Amino acid sequence: MNKTVKGRWRLAVALGVAATLGVSGCGLNEETSSSSGSSSDSVLRIGTTTDVSNFNPLQSLSKTDSWILNAMYPHLLRIDENAKKSPELAKEYRYEDDGKTAVFVLRDDFKWTDGKPVVAEDVKFSAESIMKYKLGNVAAKLTWVESVEAPDATTVKFKLSQPYAPFAEGVGFWMSVVPKHVFEPAGDLSKFANDSNWVGAGPFVLDSITKGQRYVMKRNEHYPLAPGGKAAVSQVEYRVYPDVNTMMLALRNGDIDMMGTPVPVSAAKTFENDDKIKLKKVGALGFAHLTYNMKNKYLADQDVRQALSMAVDTKAIISAVLQGDGQQMAGPISPIFSEYDNTELQPYPFDPEGAKAKLSAAGYKDANNDGFFDELKFGVACDQSNANITRVVQLFRESAAKAGVKLENECVERNTFLTRTKNGEYDIDASQWGVFDNPMDQLRSTYLSSNPGGINYNLLESAEMDALINDAAGTTDVEAFKTKIKNIDKVVHEQAYLTPLYVENFQFAYNASKFTGFVPSPSDLLGMVTAYSLAQVTPVK
Amino acid sequence: MSAPVLTEQALPPAPAAPRRSFLSGYLRQPVVALSVLVLLVMAVLAVFAPLIADEPAGAGADVLQPPSGAHWFGTDDLGQDIFAQVVWGTRTSMVIGLAASLLAIVLGTAIGLAAAYFRPFDAVATVITDVMLALPTLPLMIMLAAVVSPSVTTLTLIIGFFAWPEVARLIRSQGLVISAMPYIDGARVLGATGWRIVTREILPAVVSLMVVSVLLTASRAVISEAGLSFLGLGDPDAWSWGRILLNAQRSGTIAIAWWQTLFPSLAILFLVLAATLAGTRFNDTRDPRRNGG
Repeated sequence: MNKTVKGRWRLAVALGVAATLGVSGCGLNEETSSSSGSSSDSVLRIGTTTDVSNFNPLQSLSKTDSWILNAMYPHLLRIDENAKKSPELAKEYRYEDDGKTAVFVLRDDFKWTDGKPVVAEDVKFSAESIMKYKLGNVAAKLTWVESVEAPDATTVKFKLSQPYAPFAEGVGFWMSVVPKHVFEPAGDLSKFANDSNWVGAGPFVLDSITKGQRYVMKRNEHYPLAPGGKAAVSQVEYRVYPDVNTMMLALRNGDIDMMGTPVPVSAAKTFENDDKIKLKKVGALGFAHLTYNMKNKYLADQDVRQALSMAVDTKAIISAVLQGDGQQMAGPISPIFSEYDNTELQPYPFDPEGAKAKLSAAGYKDANNDGFFDELKFGVACDQSNANITRVVQLFRESAAKAGVKLENECVERNTFLTRTKNGEYDIDASQWGVFDNPMDQLRSTYLSSNPGGINYNLLESAEMDALINDAAGTTDVEAFKTKIKNIDKVVHEQAYLTPLYVENFQFAYNASKFTGFVPSPSDLLGMVTAYSLAQVTPVK
Repeated sequence: MSAPVLTEQALPPAPAAPRRSFLSGYLRQPVVALSVLVLLVMAVLAVFAPLIADEPAGAGADVLQPPSGAHWFGTDDLGQDIFAQVVWGTRTSMVIGLAASLLAIVLGTAIGLAAAYFRPFDAVATVITDVMLALPTLPLMIMLAAVVSPSVTTLTLIIGFFAWPEVARLIRSQGLVISAMPYIDGARVLGATGWRIVTREILPAVVSLMVVSVLLTASRAVISEAGLSFLGLGDPDAWSWGRILLNAQRSGTIAIAWWQTLFPSLAILFLVLAATLAGTRFNDTRDPRRNGG
């Protein structure tokens, strides 16, 4: 008996050691024989991190899902290289009837892959379905819509219950347009999986998938936004690499031609000596932040929030975590929205001693003399898989200790974090907003008591803020609107509902010896893989 | 089981004199001496970590530096010293390893001995042990660690809880042999209670097996801890070898900063190897069939 037990132990140890050492080695695998042999150069292979979990473009999509689905289903507007809205399916849009009617004029040359033209009825059907089944985040943006009309094949009119300045931009950018003749027969669209026989009108449409491995997209032969009426690349293939190290190696080895995910700042050196791989830098449409839960008795105190804001060394964070490649912010409005950003605001200075003094003045005591204020102990929740944010929390915890505030690092596994965020089980939320396409939508979804976007992480219920936001939302005069947004920016900053950390730049890596012509848009949601960008790509001869 | 084992095992209650020669014989084996040395060095690192290196904190200017005189094990993407991280990680690993294995030993011994002596309980205990052994422990540990908030304490409890069945099975099998021995019958005839027999007569006879189990279970616990930390389920406030590996993986530096993964991996390797060798050799040395007793 002794022998077998021992044998088992030895095996276990051997396996443990192998696994431990394997951690650093198991990068290179993957299938080296690829399907690229047949039509070699015009297949663009893109690395993605995870499988597509939802093929229905009308529902809420994860970042990786939207990379693929946005190439299939057109949007009315897109966000261009300069973070401005540009025409996509819609040629133009305007407001009529004192801002109570939004009119989109569509192009007439978009075609579904089954040959039918994309018409105003498709847009009307998409919007009405979203409203009927309350699908995704677009449903909240359609709140004011009383009816949708399609008087002719290229005109869509949204009748609103009240003027809402950013309506057309928000809906135009976010809403996917789906083929009515395919989706209508499917019945209940909240249950429609749309996982086979795809019909799309983007530059590429899914053709076949192998779960866990690849998503093959074929070219749409009619895509008017591509230089030659169709994309130069005949096929786009998304390949799944859950680990970023593996994906970078795959790019270096030529198994893929570009990475959908940005290259971590710390890893940019990987491509330093590789003259085939080029990095392209784009800005962000969101920002990283610390948001304070107002349901916490102490965090509801403005002094505590301001003191915490003074205990975060954002400059050091930007230089260490982002290697200097980021921008500081003061209020909640990102400098990307230059017309709305209140430039008079200054970020809270990093001053732990000052923060300590402020807290003492506010009546907080350190009775047991352990260097920490007795009541001020908070957990900082974050998503363990976000490298930058976990580093930020680590540094924040250290600097807050100098201000006498004890923080507990609660960076947990992603799904646990999402559940906690949803249930409000955190004191301080450290996370990153992905994409805000306009400041009004951002303020509505982050500060309204009714929490229409589900991301009021402050759990703020303030009549004053509600009034300010609703007042701004109904303002049609452009200058007055800007002034009101700037004022809200100032109020949030003074209240220190959140401490904005940084607006980061993203770097995307691609094999420049094989493909060129990408037109990157800001944010890691859009990046180099927007429908428009993929349609412009050409193989290098 | 063969007869010599029985006669040999009948002796332990009065082992005073042979103990020293056994220990020195054990330590005189080169492999054992080396293993024990490694374990001692690790223990010293763990206990005196604050004297050896500052707790890794803040951000430094030397980002992703390879090993050098100033940074023996190089630096990570925040410019923190990997050597300091490994030293402080030794603390967490040793604490979790020992505490979890003690927990497992206490649970396992109690259940194993109870099963060996109280026959009606045996059937139940054996089934439970078998079920626990058949469970896929890693996924269960991952699930549990994801649900509770991860800290050194919760990790210890989770790892310890999943490690007891192996100990229970070992102790039970040895306990079955002992409890069938004449001196146990003798004690019973003299009127000793079941509690007294188990704690005073059987327990001393399985102590050496417990020593082996502590070492082997601890080495497994260290691997479990590193694994869970690598998966992001470790204590985010405590440095651990698994967390250093996780940092390297998450920041995408595995391919360019080999030192960030090599040194913590070596630390895991050495600790686990040393504990295992020390444990198995201990088992071999006290085995009469090996040493001709």
